Amino acid sequence: MFSPLLAASLAMEPAEVDDAELTTADEEGAGVYGPFFEGEPASDIEFVTQPRPDQLPRLSVGKGAFCFVEGTYCKASLLLSADIGFGMRAPASDEGPDVPYAQFTFRWGATIRPGMLRGKPWHAWGVGPVASWSRGTGSLTVKGDALDQELDSTDDTTVLRIGLVNQLWLSKRNHAPHLDFTLGAARSDVLTSGVKLWGSHAELAMGFGGWGGLFLSGDFLDRDTRVVMGFRGHGIAAGPIIAMAIAGLAAGGAL
Amino acid sequence: MISAALLVALTTAQPAVDAPASEPVIQRPAAKRDAEPPAPADAPAELSEAEPSGPAAAEGPAPAEAAEPTPEPTPEPAPQPEVAVAPASPASQPTDPTETERFTVASGDGGPPYYTDADSQALRERHDIKTQAPDRTDQARWNCLIADPTCGRSFEVNALAAYTLRGRQGDVSGTGENPRWSSGRAQYDFWMNLPVITDIRGRSKFTRMTMGPKGGLIFSDSGSTWGNVGMAFRYWLGRGRWAPTIEFSSALSFKLGERERVDRGLEQPGWKMTRGPVGFTADVGFGLGGFGAIVLGGQYDSPLAREDIPEPFRTSAGGAFFLGFRGNILWGGPAAAAVATHIATQRGVEAP
Repeated sequence: MFSPLLAASLAMEPAEVDDAELTTADEEGAGVYGPFFEGEPASDIEFVTQPRPDQLPRLSVGKGAFCFVEGTYCKASLLLSADIGFGMRAPASDEGPDVPYAQFTFRWGATIRPGMLRGKPWHAWGVGPVASWSRGTGSLTVKGDALDQELDSTDDTTVLRIGLVNQLWLSKRNHAPHLDFTLGAARSDVLTSGVKLWGSHAELAMGFGGWGGLFLSGDFLDRDTRVVMGFRGHGIAAGPIIAMAIAGLAAGGAL
Repeated sequence: MISAALLVALTTAQPAVDAPASEPVIQRPAAKRDAEPPAPADAPAELSEAEPSGPAAAEGPAPAEAAEPTPEPTPEPAPQPEVAVAPASPASQPTDPTETERFTVASGDGGPPYYTDADSQALRERHDIKTQAPDRTDQARWNCLIADPTCGRSFEVNALAAYTLRGRQGDVSGTGENPRWSSGRAQYDFWMNLPVITDIRGRSKFTRMTMGPKGGLIFSDSGSTWGNVGMAFRYWLGRGRWAPTIEFSSALSFKLGERERVDRGLEQPGWKMTRGPVGFTADVGFGLGGFGAIVLGGQYDSPLAREDIPEPFRTSAGGAFFLGFRGNILWGGPAAAAVATHIATQRGVEAP
């Protein structure tokens, strides 16, 4: 049963590839290899509304030179998103117990795809500066023993972050998934001291195009660590949600 | 070792074929063989020592086929110059459709497809694969910002307005009460729909089921605000714009804030950030298209009552059941209903 297939596969052994072919492929921008970087497989079956590969990224100018929503074939993109997250606030052991932590964040920045700026039609790497502002739940410190406890707390925690995001796009498809690694600094209130200090910030995120994604991040300050995971949405999607939420709270008298 | 085994397998399973190495042969059912056109003069002719080569082999069926009934052959839509002539089977052997007819791998640059268009067309006809226009040619609304079976990956913002029965258990103040009260729920979520099951009709693909991450905000009375991060599923029971759907979503929910009250001894009334452990919320919905769904769900708020948490900062377990309507905000109605529910709940309901 397998013999015809074997015969066919043996007969289709690839011929030796000379250097000229490799050079040509690289010049055309196809010199990115790997299991995730393949283009769409050849197929005559597709979604009726699926954008054709030759269509320009939506919400872009200059034929993808700059996109307001990140896309697979964007050379430069705007980052503008909001997210919510939850996690744990872990102070130093003599400062009090670990407590739940939640925050909402506004994030902005820009990315470029250096390989595509050099002329390749697609490249997996993206890089750019990013900044964010968060409002999180407050801090709680407990010092002393059970008979002589010294309690202190804050209502909320404000964090400002700056960093550099490196992106690895995993596919050439529309709304392609990509991994984002962000390293930077965070300035925030430290526990209940009332003092703002600089610490470090790291984040690993997975996005789908520029529309949103999931993230895991941490702010590491002196004796005050916060680890958060959450969901992020582009400003176009998050804006209406924020507007409706504020409208409901304000008109309802909750603010 | 493996190479030797492959060689033995090829030698024993294959008839004696002396085809060119660059054009291996693939077998096809015998029923197709009668309708095949004669091979052109430039086609590979050396196939088998047991059969005559060239046009003589294609002029009529082999003796074995003349003796046994075979299905009605399907005519080939176009000549296949590169199709090789099948070898004749001995009269004493039964004809196995899978071992008597051959396709020829198309020559070219070496990339897919490996067969000619005529081969693909013959395959479609044999298995009744339709090639006509799809069932739907109309476009989805708002560039797929309203979910549609014709969309691949899509994104949407949903708003939920619901009646809610809330409760709280284990009052940490020691009163021993377990209050329950009627309230409302407004929820705004961003869904990312990734197709995981698809249907194919003609040359069009339709989404059967989507699954993807979602997140958003939940509001109830007394300024209660939660975030939620989870997954959303939608199963389409049809391919139309208004096809019925079954939706299921589940998420981890966490307290973001609430309105502080003067009667509880707090200094200033107003909405403030409030910590709380991670809880859980889930719902099931029955809807029409991506426009809206009737939703039934529940939520559980975990207590923060560890022994190392000082008494003033502990919170009790809580929960809610809700029944309402969830729809895409681009439609307008769901957004207005959710905001109205939010406002009415803030003004008309106070948590006991």
